[in-house]
Amino acid sequence: MVPGPFGLDPTFWAVLRLVISVALVLFLILNGALLLIYLERKILAVMQDRIGPYHVGPFGLLQTFADALKLIAKEDFRAGQTDRAFFLAAPALVFSPMLASFVVIPFGPGIVGADLSIGLLYLATLGSMGVLGIVIAGWASNNKYSLVGGVRSAGQLISYEVPGILSLVTGVLVAGSLSMVAITEGQPGPLVNFFIIPFAFVTYFIAALAETNRTPFDLPEAESELVAGYLTEYSGMRWGTMLALTEYGNVTIVCGIMATLWFGGWQGPGIDSGPITGPLLGVLWFTLKTYAFILVFMWIRATLPRMRIDQLMSFCWKVLIPATLLNLAVTAVLLLAFPGSLVPVAIANWVMVALFMLGLPMLQQRRLRRLRARLRDRAPGMAAAG
Amino acid sequence: MSLDLIEPILFGLLAVMILGAGLGVVLADRITTSALLMAFTFLNMAGMFVLLGAETIAAFQVLIYVGAITVLILYGVMFTPQAPRSYGLFFQKQTPLGALIAALAALPVMAVAFAFRDSGRLPARGGDLVPIATSVFKDFAFPFEVASVLLLAAMIGAIVLVRRDEE
Repeated sequence: MVPGPFGLDPTFWAVLRLVISVALVLFLILNGALLLIYLERKILAVMQDRIGPYHVGPFGLLQTFADALKLIAKEDFRAGQTDRAFFLAAPALVFSPMLASFVVIPFGPGIVGADLSIGLLYLATLGSMGVLGIVIAGWASNNKYSLVGGVRSAGQLISYEVPGILSLVTGVLVAGSLSMVAITEGQPGPLVNFFIIPFAFVTYFIAALAETNRTPFDLPEAESELVAGYLTEYSGMRWGTMLALTEYGNVTIVCGIMATLWFGGWQGPGIDSGPITGPLLGVLWFTLKTYAFILVFMWIRATLPRMRIDQLMSFCWKVLIPATLLNLAVTAVLLLAFPGSLVPVAIANWVMVALFMLGLPMLQQRRLRRLRARLRDRAPGMAAAG
Repeated sequence: MSLDLIEPILFGLLAVMILGAGLGVVLADRITTSALLMAFTFLNMAGMFVLLGAETIAAFQVLIYVGAITVLILYGVMFTPQAPRSYGLFFQKQTPLGALIAALAALPVMAVAFAFRDSGRLPARGGDLVPIATSVFKDFAFPFEVASVLLLAAMIGAIVLVRRDEE
């Protein structure tokens, strides 16, 4: 048991600490979602040459607060033919794994809910649990679009979990620990893990985009083809819990994982400066790193079109999984062959990044050429028209 | 209040929920309810593993059974045509036989359970990551690899079975 501050009884402090941390995380999730929605709308607006929300409050800052109040005030509504128990359970099933994930995220030196020895595995586990809620939501809505969204989600999330976890394992091989705190403490200098295993970062970034249903992998809720996918029948705060809170919470978590595993988490200048300023600076560095990745997510949403479902699956199974497996094997072999030196791993990883970036367009061109040739063989008239 | 006092209470709660949800899986009329209750049973089993100090096994239990297997079962259910037939599942129609077999299976289990005596101290809490890693990759590396080859063969077999012929 951890002894409490100010001479508090350890048992009492354990309970109090739990209450305080859950309250803090809820505060963080609720306000983070409001802030991220505002940021996303503003950034998309800037990139599309619009102004974005500007009526409510200075710079439209209070717009998302107004939206949230409207969602809370809305009638708790359920369509008649939906499956009662499942329909009501689905938002909770999606939300609670996300909430529980925050336990192991190290926000600053000494600021962590629990330093689990299997922290990263725990995060991967909870990440995989969210699928269940989405599938249930799609099933219970008794709506074709919802069902298609739920089924797509099941296929997509289970497939992209594999490269995601394989990339994390590669990172763990180099970091030497599954504990989030130990991983952060292992990267004190400017030479963070990103410079050693950039390829694992690239593959994890792609898998993370898919696992949080972000563009270009937002097929489960593709609004131009599926209305809103598994969210179609939801409204009010149920919709708000599933979309706003959970999606942005999950984005925060995967970006936190990237910041911790590849960019040193709360490590940065001045974290040893004092008992108060050190942790505060640590929180600042962690927040800056995490939000940098979130901004890239939004940038990608403004830039890239949505993939088709067959492209999505074939990219995962034919490109991403072989690439991550190869990376894992090469990293493991090099770590065993050159104990004590990370330079060979780094060289191999940078070479793989270069090959990946050069090879992907070439593969794509060859595939397109083959496709065109097949079309020409099958229907000469159509190929001429196309 | 220390953890020693809470542990039996937690064990009792988890045991009741596992048994209740397990019963629900068999007795529920609808296959989706059964699948969800099964996920609930798996989650509670993970709680049991945590109580035993085996966090890694608990994490894998949730990762594989709740996150993947249950979702795949639901996936299968969604693609199964719902014919207009009675929802009574196969095993619900054989209650007497099922009760008999369950009783027969329960006897040796109960005999072992009541004959169990605490055989000294279990290893202290400190994570089960390292013990699992050494047993899988050192002590039992060969059986582990054989099992993975078996799974690979099963996977290739499944792909060959469902593959469409090239036209």
